[in-house]
Amino acid sequence: MYPSPFRYHRARSLKEAASLLSELGEGSKALAGGQSLIPLMKLRLVSLSDLVDLNFIPGVSAIEQKDNQIHIGALARHADLEKSQTTAPIPIIHDCASGIADVQIRSRGTIGGSLAEADPSGDWPCVLLTLPVELRCVGPKGERTVPISKFFVDAYTSVMEHDELLSGIIVKLPPPHSGGAYLAFKRSPPVYPTASAAVQLTLEGDVCKDVGIALGCVGLTTIKAVQAEQQLRGKSIDQKSITRAAEAAMAEADPQTDMRGSIDYKRTLVRALVKRATEVAVRRARGEKVEVSHYYA
Amino acid sequence: MSKAKENKKPKRWVGTSLRRKEDDRLIRGHGKFVDDNRLGEMLFLKMVSSPYGHAKILKVDVSEAEKLPGVVCTLTGTEVASLMQPFMEIGPEPGAKIVDYPMAVNRARYQGEPVAAVIAKSQAIAEDAAELVHVEYEMLDAVVTGEDAIQDKVILHESSGTNLVWRGLYEWGEVDKAFKEAAYVVNIDRLHFHRFTAAPLENNAILAHWEPDGRLHFWCNNSFPTFAIQFLAPALGLRLEQIHVKTEDIGGSFGVKITHYPQMAVCALASRKAGGRPVKWTETRTGNLTASGHCNERTYRNTRVALDKNGVIQAIESRQIDDCGAYTRYEPLGAVIWSQVVPGVYRVKNLRIDFAQVVSNKCPCAPIRGYSRLQHLWFMERVLDICSYELGIAADEMRLQNYIKPEEFPYTTPNGCVYDSGNYPKMLEIAKELVGWDRWVKKQQEAKKEGRMIGIGIGTTLDSGTNNFGQSRIINPYAPFSGNSEAANIKVDLDGNIVVSLGSTPQGQGHETTTAQVVADELNIHPDMVSVRTGFDTEWNTYTGHSGTYASQFAVTGLSAVHGAAQKLKKEMKKLAAYALQAKEEDLEFGVGNMGPELRVKGTDKSINYWGLANLVNVNNAGLPNEIAELTLNCRYIYRPPFQIPDLKRKYGNLTLTYAAQLHIAVVEIDPEMYTPKILDYAAVDDCGTVVNPMIVEGQVRGATAHGIGAALMEACVYDSVGNMLTSTFSDYTPITAVNMPKVHYGHIESPSPFSFNGAKGMGEGGGAALHAISAALQNALFEYGITIDDSFTTGNTLYDALVGKKVMQRANNVKVERGVA
Repeated sequence: MYPSPFRYHRARSLKEAASLLSELGEGSKALAGGQSLIPLMKLRLVSLSDLVDLNFIPGVSAIEQKDNQIHIGALARHADLEKSQTTAPIPIIHDCASGIADVQIRSRGTIGGSLAEADPSGDWPCVLLTLPVELRCVGPKGERTVPISKFFVDAYTSVMEHDELLSGIIVKLPPPHSGGAYLAFKRSPPVYPTASAAVQLTLEGDVCKDVGIALGCVGLTTIKAVQAEQQLRGKSIDQKSITRAAEAAMAEADPQTDMRGSIDYKRTLVRALVKRATEVAVRRARGEKVEVSHYYA
Repeated sequence: MSKAKENKKPKRWVGTSLRRKEDDRLIRGHGKFVDDNRLGEMLFLKMVSSPYGHAKILKVDVSEAEKLPGVVCTLTGTEVASLMQPFMEIGPEPGAKIVDYPMAVNRARYQGEPVAAVIAKSQAIAEDAAELVHVEYEMLDAVVTGEDAIQDKVILHESSGTNLVWRGLYEWGEVDKAFKEAAYVVNIDRLHFHRFTAAPLENNAILAHWEPDGRLHFWCNNSFPTFAIQFLAPALGLRLEQIHVKTEDIGGSFGVKITHYPQMAVCALASRKAGGRPVKWTETRTGNLTASGHCNERTYRNTRVALDKNGVIQAIESRQIDDCGAYTRYEPLGAVIWSQVVPGVYRVKNLRIDFAQVVSNKCPCAPIRGYSRLQHLWFMERVLDICSYELGIAADEMRLQNYIKPEEFPYTTPNGCVYDSGNYPKMLEIAKELVGWDRWVKKQQEAKKEGRMIGIGIGTTLDSGTNNFGQSRIINPYAPFSGNSEAANIKVDLDGNIVVSLGSTPQGQGHETTTAQVVADELNIHPDMVSVRTGFDTEWNTYTGHSGTYASQFAVTGLSAVHGAAQKLKKEMKKLAAYALQAKEEDLEFGVGNMGPELRVKGTDKSINYWGLANLVNVNNAGLPNEIAELTLNCRYIYRPPFQIPDLKRKYGNLTLTYAAQLHIAVVEIDPEMYTPKILDYAAVDDCGTVVNPMIVEGQVRGATAHGIGAALMEACVYDSVGNMLTSTFSDYTPITAVNMPKVHYGHIESPSPFSFNGAKGMGEGGGAALHAISAALQNALFEYGITIDDSFTTGNTLYDALVGKKVMQRANNVKVERGVA
């Protein structure tokens, strides 16, 4: 690849990286896995003055359980999460990690990079919005913790400042009888989905005690489908309530017509994906082992 | 061990799945591709491309780019036009009035068309400099469909004054009579075959070196270099022999690499301007998708089909518009090449096709896999399917009713083509068995009760190979080429090694392997003992004016040349061995002895090995008798198929030597909630006559299947109304991947061709069987919903628009049946 010329910096710690970004200003950018940044640089859609490489920073890619929380280092690769036993109690994480692009990208791309990019088509933003997640950010002024519900502001925009970096993702382990699923429709594996839906719920008998539903690729940000959640939360789970939730999600989706599909068609996909993800989530909440895969053209 | 090997040795190497000789090199990364070349003082070229589909070029300012350190020079369209002549046009007027330079001069006519180039000491500098070229454009209205283009409201080429490139009426048989007597006439208002491309793993790449003495060298991956040179030489003012073209390993072409001679010209001019330094250009993926070559897009209007009461098609008439993109390049050959397969696999005798080709503000077309026949065969399959549903005849029954019968071969088509051999009903039977036809029909009926939409579709198609270039005269009576040919050279080298060189440009077809198989059988040796030099080279290899790798022909043209050369060599070897061994030629046999490959006197231990023979000719040759002295052990043979010039008035003649057939069956389910078509089962049956290497043939069949499935469901070159290409990266073009592929049940039969020495038929293109089978399966699933599959490209979105929105593919708006016309 032949990007526009830029200066390269190799940071030894997140703090150093944050200071560098602060010093170097708006023309600088942090490089995590490069899943999105490298293609943008290659196509010269992005020209940087400075690139701050995070990949040699030690200690920010571990995946560990601490009490009832799972701590995921921001530089954990999709492939690490795909193989992780630590995240096994939350199968939706495996759905997400294993469905991202192809082997090469999963080996390089990071969960932190995906979140920080705040791409409405990203997989991790969609999945993590359905879970109790806190994001730890590091900047030159110190650390702060942001709940994921407050993290995404607009398309490609999060609450983080230019010189802030994600250091970790803290996921609270869901209570017993919980399950989730993440499903997307993609034309082919390496490309962004046309639409995606994540559903994470907790059952008490046949009643849905709690639920999180999020939609990807169908709005300026990942959409938390609160209306759809209301159709399930506190209600008994059956085909009727699932259909109502799917219909509600369809209405909450706010897609645009593009090469991947028309507004109506994307909404139709959302309905199908929410319905199917909910069905799988319910089966998993009931203790069933269910393998899922995205849908491809 | 050698004994075990001996036991395993097959009677003949041809017909075995010999592992590919070239794979060891390629899999280890030891192949050599154009971009691997590094010459001293080499420079790098970057094209500056038009961001507009149609625009006036008001100003090209290269001054800032030229100031960037490391930039050696630049080229603009105006400059290019002053340095060369426009490329020749293959066709007559009005197409011949198109002025075609390799760079836009004053006007850009498709997005991605080069408007300038920068030449620099490194690729990185070239890329930076390209951004400093400032071009002022004035956007023009674009024309992006064939149907709009033919109306000439927006005209691309002022010199021509019309978008029409060529128009001709093809008529055979008694069409009007057939319509008068028909029991049914089916009218189909509009069918459309979409644009897609080949997306080879390796993009186009050229290294040009124009030496001060006037010699111009090209290292390139052009897959039809003799064609390219004939365009380049007159345009650049050179004699053919001044142009040296060399190809090495090529990472796929599928026809798209035939038409990059314009870029070759740009690289050559750049090299000369840079003071004779070598200049390399390696295309980017976006460059390949937007500006390399797309397949011909075709619209079929006002189609009428006459049928008898049994559903046998009596006549077809149609008005067709082929959209070849902004420039003609290989065209208008596509306007005749479809007629190699006029009736498809059916016994239709009466046809009238009004064929027009037009230019539009899209990437120029290239003769991509299945070139022009694919489009026509898809049309024939749609016609057959639509008629079968309209008449209530099962699609398999309909085909059996209409297929050319096995006993009718060799079969002469209405336009004089001779289908060599085949057995379509047998292929259908095998494909049905492979896919589990009866089981699926049952499942389909059960699924229907649950509201599920499952369709089973058949695609029967032809891969016509070894074409008669004389057909170009149907387009242009003055075209200076006809027939076909290929050359091979075989020699016994000084050290006794057998070395074969070819005129072909393999891109994955395994020519090294199949050539070695043929030679090994002739000389009764192991294929490992045969060195095959592939790669086209006007200086060092043998070739003819038709040499190259395209149009499904190597198994016939290439291997016939190899076989012919081997015959000549054997004759010489026998003569020489008879002299050396003081034996009679008829007592000699070929084989392998203790001293390697040899000739021996049958039943004795008297023998001479190849080194001994070579020694007599090349090294130790004093005192040889006169009749031996003329032997060279270096034999060239040119194979020429027995073609005639077609009858131009009747557009009648044999246009192709062999007709391989493919029959695919697809079982497709349409997701009831997402409307995406999913392939549930798939069978592919191939008949390419006598198979030289079953593994290679199966690989080709699977590859063509993937290309076809991709084209049917995933891959389209989509433009908006102003000529922006919306699928210019793999993210949007979405070429098919392994994950999208169904499991393919593969089967084959062999109907040997009576017209090739080995019974083989060319088969690399595959005839687009997957496109036909998928359209057929969708039609099978959706006929009862009032849907006619009228486009070769289908996505979940289009099926949603058809089933829910009732906006597209509505039978009521497209198809009308006149019953009882007779």
